[in-house]
Amino acid sequence: MSGPKLYGLMAEFENPQDLVEATRRAREAGFTRLDAYSPYPIEALTEALDIHDRKLPAVVLGGGILGGLCGYALCYWTTVVNYPLVVGGKPYHSAPAFIVPTFETTILFAAFAAVLGMLGLNGLPMPYHPVFNSPRFALASRDRFFLCIEARDPRFDHDETWAFLTKLGPRVVMDVEE
Amino acid sequence: MDATNDSRLAGETVRLSRAAFVVGLVALGGAVAYGTAHPDQFFHSYLLAFMFWNGLTVGSLAVLMLQYLTGGAWGISIRRELEAATRTLPLTAVAFLPIAFGMHSLYEWTHADAVAHDEVLLKKAGYLNAPFFLFRAALAFAIWIAIAWALNRWSREQDSSADHRAVDRKLQLLSGGGLVAYALTTTWTAVDWVMSLEPHWFSTMYGVIYMAGQGLGALALATLAVVRLSKTRPVSEFLGGRHMHDLGKMMFAFTMFWAYVTFSQYLIVWSGNLPEEISWYLARFRGGWGWVGLAVLMLQFVLPFLLLLSRRANRDPRTLTLAAALVVLMRFIDLSWMILPAFSQGHFRIHPTDLTVPLALGGIWAGLYLRNLAGRPLLPVHDPGFEEALAHGRD
Amino acid sequence: MADAATPTPPAEKPATTTGILAPGYSFTTLTDKIASIALSRRTPFVWFIGAGVGFLLTMMLLTALTWLLFRGIGIWGVNQPVGWGFEIVNFVWWIGIGHAGTLISAILLLLRQPWRNSINRFAEAMTIFAVACAGIYPAFHTGRPWLDYWLIPYPNSMGMWPNFRSPLIWDVFAVSTYATVSLLFWYVGMIPDLATLRDRAKKLWAKIIYGMLAMGWRGSARHWSRYETASLLLAGLATPLVVSVHTVVSFDFAAGIVPGWHATIFPPYFVAGAIYAGFAMVMTLAIPLRKLYGLEDLITMKHLDNMAKILLATGLIVGYGYVVEAFMSYYSGNTYERFMIWNRLHGPYKHAYWALLFCNLVMPQALWFRKVRRSVPWLFVIAMVVNVGMWLERYVIVVVSLSRDFLPSSWGLYKATVFDWATFIGTIGLFLALMFLFIRLLPMISIFEMRAILPEAKVREEEAEA
Repeated sequence: MSGPKLYGLMAEFENPQDLVEATRRAREAGFTRLDAYSPYPIEALTEALDIHDRKLPAVVLGGGILGGLCGYALCYWTTVVNYPLVVGGKPYHSAPAFIVPTFETTILFAAFAAVLGMLGLNGLPMPYHPVFNSPRFALASRDRFFLCIEARDPRFDHDETWAFLTKLGPRVVMDVEE
Repeated sequence: MDATNDSRLAGETVRLSRAAFVVGLVALGGAVAYGTAHPDQFFHSYLLAFMFWNGLTVGSLAVLMLQYLTGGAWGISIRRELEAATRTLPLTAVAFLPIAFGMHSLYEWTHADAVAHDEVLLKKAGYLNAPFFLFRAALAFAIWIAIAWALNRWSREQDSSADHRAVDRKLQLLSGGGLVAYALTTTWTAVDWVMSLEPHWFSTMYGVIYMAGQGLGALALATLAVVRLSKTRPVSEFLGGRHMHDLGKMMFAFTMFWAYVTFSQYLIVWSGNLPEEISWYLARFRGGWGWVGLAVLMLQFVLPFLLLLSRRANRDPRTLTLAAALVVLMRFIDLSWMILPAFSQGHFRIHPTDLTVPLALGGIWAGLYLRNLAGRPLLPVHDPGFEEALAHGRD
Repeated sequence: MADAATPTPPAEKPATTTGILAPGYSFTTLTDKIASIALSRRTPFVWFIGAGVGFLLTMMLLTALTWLLFRGIGIWGVNQPVGWGFEIVNFVWWIGIGHAGTLISAILLLLRQPWRNSINRFAEAMTIFAVACAGIYPAFHTGRPWLDYWLIPYPNSMGMWPNFRSPLIWDVFAVSTYATVSLLFWYVGMIPDLATLRDRAKKLWAKIIYGMLAMGWRGSARHWSRYETASLLLAGLATPLVVSVHTVVSFDFAAGIVPGWHATIFPPYFVAGAIYAGFAMVMTLAIPLRKLYGLEDLITMKHLDNMAKILLATGLIVGYGYVVEAFMSYYSGNTYERFMIWNRLHGPYKHAYWALLFCNLVMPQALWFRKVRRSVPWLFVIAMVVNVGMWLERYVIVVVSLSRDFLPSSWGLYKATVFDWATFIGTIGLFLALMFLFIRLLPMISIFEMRAILPEAKVREEEAEA
């Protein structure tokens, strides 16, 4: 093929039901490199694409544990080791008091882990992505549902895939350039 | 679905109930025999027993009202277990009588000579005196029994009538006002029955800690019961993974709330470090009681927290049962930690009656509870949220 | 069993979305309706009035603060023995208002309450702006705001560290964590909607700015899946955080031993009070907004009813706090504790205490009646009354307790100066200005979460299996 390289083929659907159905059929047909785009999260779509990513909770747990350790270490080291000072008749190692800042740093680190982890795993921010080359794709953030089968899929063949997508009853099928 | 109770279930429950009665009566006989010789020790242990079992009963009433008020599938799944517990209220009301008789063995402020020489107790005499104390106890029981009676009666009406919208509305309204009444009664009974054991000490958080503990205990007990009942019809056809998940989450929330209020009280008293306040903690940290307190923290909060943290554990009946059983047991240890050091200032002392008397009252209570449980259909099929709750569990 | 009733299921299945969205909306109309407020609709004239008032009051705030920098905090009414005056009152008041935003977005998300979807966005915005207003007070109350960075633990040439046994440093940790996490939560929640604005914007600069903020969001199913997980985890973190923040604020008082401050009930009582005040503020904002922008279909009577119920419940918890405080002051048998309540009831500030009892305890009892909960003017009046009442509560706790402590020889009264008032009203102006800018520039209702509760968003289960 001459001209710009092809990224994939995209089918546009009018409702979530059709998109979920089409995604399932595409998976059954053996396509592996595909993605579905919708204006809001659809649980059934996660199942249809068989997405099993359990990394994020682990990242957040790790962030929380790290934050807790850092927070307590900060209190302990500054108050017991580096600058021991009796205040209000309390012991140097005032565990009840240290729990409070420790709690806050736990939450802070875990929250950052959740946000940065989500963005990182999703590859965001992403300044350029081929799907935006399709002028109709702007509707993916409004009221339309898209299924994109990528050209690097081993089973991808332009004409056959086009025919396959057309059978799924989309509003329109279009080329997406790289 | 078929909502009738499995016939085998009734037989099993009644057998269990009888066994519990027997255990309770035997233990009671022993305890009374011992108690006539050592009345002080008997009443100390008896107060612990009463606070534990009455706490489960009144806590169930509170959780029942909470679930009427907020709705949600979690409440429907344990409705009948909670109701069965609230119907033991006449028993716990009668069980209060020994405390009325044992006041002298329990409360320093009932001794006129002690009060006469104590400026602080003199100032409190308008509140801490025997007639007013008994009146407040009677009032609390009257309120609880009235609420429990009405809730159970209306729930029965909801079961047997086709058009129950009026009843649904009444149940919600009573639960709203009832929770307000619960908060006040629990606060003053906690102050009267336990806090006044050390009559110089006071804490505004005290009532809230009891509410958190009672709610936690009641929820754990109901969870234990419903998971066990889900082995037979009709609960087996209702209870799904999501219900268990919800119950686990509720227990998780309650144990966090309990830890939160308990820690907050400690931190504030610790920071202020005033002699009349910190003495309460000193009595509970010294002479081995500190280890009990640590065990309560670890086993009533940390371990259930970790057990119930993951979604998979919540949906596993065994993990849920383990967490719930642990919580019920630790409620007892927690109450021991709150109550017993008041009698053994600074020393760690546990008497065999601290176990046998709770067992005696507990056997009778459990016998009645099981009988109550078997006496009603186990699912509130006419509740307006039942269909939704049923579908909720199907995922 | 003997009396097992024959099951007859209720006639209609209760749908969870009943009443929280007027019928007749589609993905298209819903998106366009909300997005157009930020993108294309003519800005209503009232907006200019509101934003203008907010802007002018912000100028007053800046003037008052500038003068403060020249003269020092002596221009405020604080002095011995009342060293904490309006500034701490307002700090606690603003922080409290912020809490409802987090509650609506986090706790109601965890409880899967879809009615939150139309109010969570501006409630979260309210949180951030309220925390911003709150932060101004302690920052300037230090007297030398240019040295505020000393509050942060960092290795320094003086070899000193903050005192981690002090509630004041806990507060620094709690409030800064809260501000940060709220901002993260708000921004992450807005990413898909920013993508909508990016795709709908006509003007180039709007495309560029919204595009950069949307970070290339494209609505991929894989992204949504992680996004949902992240939202739930953030909500799970924000819930204990919001509780901890007002708990720590309450420790600022309760860890001391001043009668009226040193009460163990303070943590849950402050948290409930914060939610109470916050929901009152959400109602105060939501009622005019839905009218102004014709959003009655999206913020329905059902929302107002639910919020009124939460207002009633939290108000009762706060009332429980008052009752227990008064009872324990008697029960303690402690001279100072008993005097504290007597002083509130009969002392020089008795009007504030009685007014607060009326505002927070008596007035909201009207919400027991469905008629009141379904009447917009009544709700607005009650919400305003609670706003005032919760401000008075903090005033009573801060000022009244300090003015009469242990030694009568060290008693003294507090009187706010014109600069106290200018700063207070100025922060209300700042809050208004930020709120109006937000309404104008960003989607004030979460578009993607509203799409998800439309009837056409349902994917039928039987086909979802297979």
